[in-house]
Amino acid sequence: MYPYEGMFLVDPVQHAADSDRVEGTVKGLLEKHGAKIQQFETWDERKLAYEIKGHRRGVYLLAHFEMPGDAVDALHADCKLTEAILREMLVRLEDDIPTYLEKSAVYYEKVRSDHEIRRPGRREEGQEDGGREDALPPVD
Amino acid sequence: MARERRDKKRDKKKKFKRFKPRSCRFTRLRVEFIDWKDVQTLQRLCTGQGKILGRKRSGNSARFQRMVEAAIKRARYMALMPYVGT
Repeated sequence: MYPYEGMFLVDPVQHAADSDRVEGTVKGLLEKHGAKIQQFETWDERKLAYEIKGHRRGVYLLAHFEMPGDAVDALHADCKLTEAILREMLVRLEDDIPTYLEKSAVYYEKVRSDHEIRRPGRREEGQEDGGREDALPPVD
Repeated sequence: MARERRDKKRDKKKKFKRFKPRSCRFTRLRVEFIDWKDVQTLQRLCTGQGKILGRKRSGNSARFQRMVEAAIKRARYMALMPYVGT
């Protein structure tokens, strides 16, 4: 069992119609491959940087889980077969999940403070491009 | 009016050409890794066209430049950042 971070880009139309079903599908896939989900979050719908399978917008699901290493390929294959999932990314974490979340919180704190020092008051600008600022990952 | 604009442009060009030696922001902040989901930071390390800034422009240390590259490429794959600007 290794700690993984998984991000799934799902069809915004299907997610808007029935978010529980789409999220359930993703969770179901993970559990099917023996993953123990430790954290699961949904980001707001946001504009994609480029078109994927005819979609200009998408919903991101972010999961942190533990999974046996040999299930990774099978999970990728299953994601490709699931219509609701447009794209997926699995990253193996170096630390276990609680440590990772802690480190990530520290990281975001440091980085955000740096933004403030370098360009004070620039935060409002983010809202101009369609409120993308709001769609940033919540600081864990 | 037009002249003003031209002057502004020229100033910009000058600024662009002259790099100030900068220290690595990540070394200074003492971060342990670079999160590929942190689009706000990664965007600052890209040009308007979406190209990754070189070490001379960004001032990153070799270690963090490697991490930044990997992070931006991951973000691009997930369509969080563009491969090419529009």
